[in-house]
Amino acid sequence: MEFSFSVSAPTKVDLAETYDLVIIGGGPTGLTAAIYASRAKLKTLVVEKGAPGGLVTTTEWIENYPGFPEGVAGPELGRAMQEQAQRFGTEIFKGQPENINLTSNPKEMTLGGKKVTVRAVIIATGTKPRKLNIPGEAELSGRGVSYCATCDGPFFAGKELVAVGAGNSGVQESIFLLKYATRITIVEYLPTIQAEKILVERFNSTGKGSFLLNHEVLSIEGSDKVTGVKVRDRVSGAETLIPCAGVFVWIGLVPQTDEFKDILKLDKWGYVEVDSELRTNIEGVWAAGDVISGATRQIAAAVGSGVTAAMSVEHKLSQQS
Amino acid sequence: MGMLKEEDKQYIREQFEGKLVGQVKILLFTQKLECEYCQPTEEILKELSELSELLTLDVHNLQIDSEDAKQYNIDKVPAIILLDEKDKDYGIRFFGIPSGYEFSSLLADIIDVSNGASDLAQELVAKIAGIQEPVDIKVFVTPTCPYCPGAVRAAHKIAIANPGMIKAQMIESTEFPHLANKYAVYGVPKTVINERVQFEGAMPDQAVVEQVLAAIQVTDS
Ligand SMILES: Cc1cc2nc3c(=O)[nH]c(=O)nc-3n(C[C@H](O)[C@H](O)[C@H](O)COP(=O)(O)OP(=O)(O)OC[C@H]3O[C@@H](n4cnc5c(N)ncnc54)[C@H](O)[C@@H]3O)c2cc1C
Repeated sequence: MEFSFSVSAPTKVDLAETYDLVIIGGGPTGLTAAIYASRAKLKTLVVEKGAPGGLVTTTEWIENYPGFPEGVAGPELGRAMQEQAQRFGTEIFKGQPENINLTSNPKEMTLGGKKVTVRAVIIATGTKPRKLNIPGEAELSGRGVSYCATCDGPFFAGKELVAVGAGNSGVQESIFLLKYATRITIVEYLPTIQAEKILVERFNSTGKGSFLLNHEVLSIEGSDKVTGVKVRDRVSGAETLIPCAGVFVWIGLVPQTDEFKDILKLDKWGYVEVDSELRTNIEGVWAAGDVISGATRQIAAAVGSGVTAAMSVEHKLSQQS
Repeated sequence: MGMLKEEDKQYIREQFEGKLVGQVKILLFTQKLECEYCQPTEEILKELSELSELLTLDVHNLQIDSEDAKQYNIDKVPAIILLDEKDKDYGIRFFGIPSGYEFSSLLADIIDVSNGASDLAQELVAKIAGIQEPVDIKVFVTPTCPYCPGAVRAAHKIAIANPGMIKAQMIESTEFPHLANKYAVYGVPKTVINERVQFEGAMPDQAVVEQVLAAIQVTDS
């Protein structure tokens, strides 16, 4: 048996009253921005409501982030980024900012009941999984419907699964799930597989997976737990029920910008609009990473975006002081 | 080779040095046979307890020390309990090995017990401290779930705010499949309060406190 032990949970921080920079979101983007800002001696706080490392922590293995020829475990990469930021003095607060006032000067927010003022803010809140919005999905969430393979995979040992979405995430996570599951059917709305060939080949070589293309998922069936998925052939219109114990959904992502939608300029899908230095429409507020309009939404790109934002913040603040 | 990397030990030592105030006693209940995870749990706790002079580890056997097991309500192993220097029980329980992300929950809990308080917001502490009936919180996790420590910590912080009444257990689902089955756990984190109220996912502290209060009302009515 092999065990790993994560030591990186940010423990209690004694919040200061004021920071040069608060970064909302501690994924690859936020943590990279924090590394640069801390090294530039800006007093920097990262606020993370979930797990530091962001979406990276929900994927088992990453093969396309440079510097790791054999690949790297998602949780490991997230944790390394976090430690690197903390090493240069970044503080990490676990929670969600409240009463955010981005337009005042300095800007204000409440963290765990304590009021904090800040000179600059970077929004690096990333995305969350898109839901199918079909009958059964919400009702059976946590009862067989899942969006996180590393979290919930172990519950499906010896069971059959359906994955929705034949993009990179869907195929890659399905390969991981086959550690536990005996069979996976990946259902895809489009007539073609979107994932990289190398992933598709690997999935096919397991001999335990298949694709069902050009099919729409109509509903998730089951009363207290998932028993199957109803799909419709988009050509013939024929409906079939695929029996399964679980459904994993990877049909894309939606930006986490709800709480800023009245203040920041967003594109029609809800992503933040920024200029070439990643400044938003509000003075002193930047946005970076997966949450910005037109982002590539890969770790390497997110990291680069974090650097750009941090350098722009530093430049701006150095002019003020 | 130890279970913790040298650099991790160094990091934990620094954290403990800066943040531990009073002594913390780690109680571990194990058994020799039919407990795949007892031995590794004992090993990791042994390494951990060596990282600060303020930590001690007491290992008990579930059968031999059955009186102690009864006192702390331990019915399965491995089980971890944290006591402060006055042997005060803060209601914190870990059933199953605290590996992966849950190791970080354990570290944070140790620091809280040492300080006799957590960072739960003052107004929430006040609400919880007023509870006058027993509350049992179970949080089901897997070690590879990055969102789970959020749920475990919320439950443990709530217990710390009223340890006389509230017990909060982390349950490692893969080690106790019969419990995972009984409570229909197919996704984690899943929290069950007083066998009545349950919810999936990690929620902000405030929302969890509201669920606890709701669970009491359900029990009352
Ligand atoms: C299943 C899966 C597999 C992937 N595999 C790969 C891969 O192999 N290679 C690759 O390059 N990319 C991969 N990606 C994409 C990659 O994960 C993202 O591009 C990257 O994580 C984006 O980083 P980010 O920091 O911008 O956003 P995120 O990683 O989404 O982080 C944003 C963080 O902000 C936090 N947050 C949001 N709102 C708030 C708030 N109000 N308060 C506090 N915190 C908040 C969130 O909890 C989150 O932790 C994968 C994605 C998924 C879903």
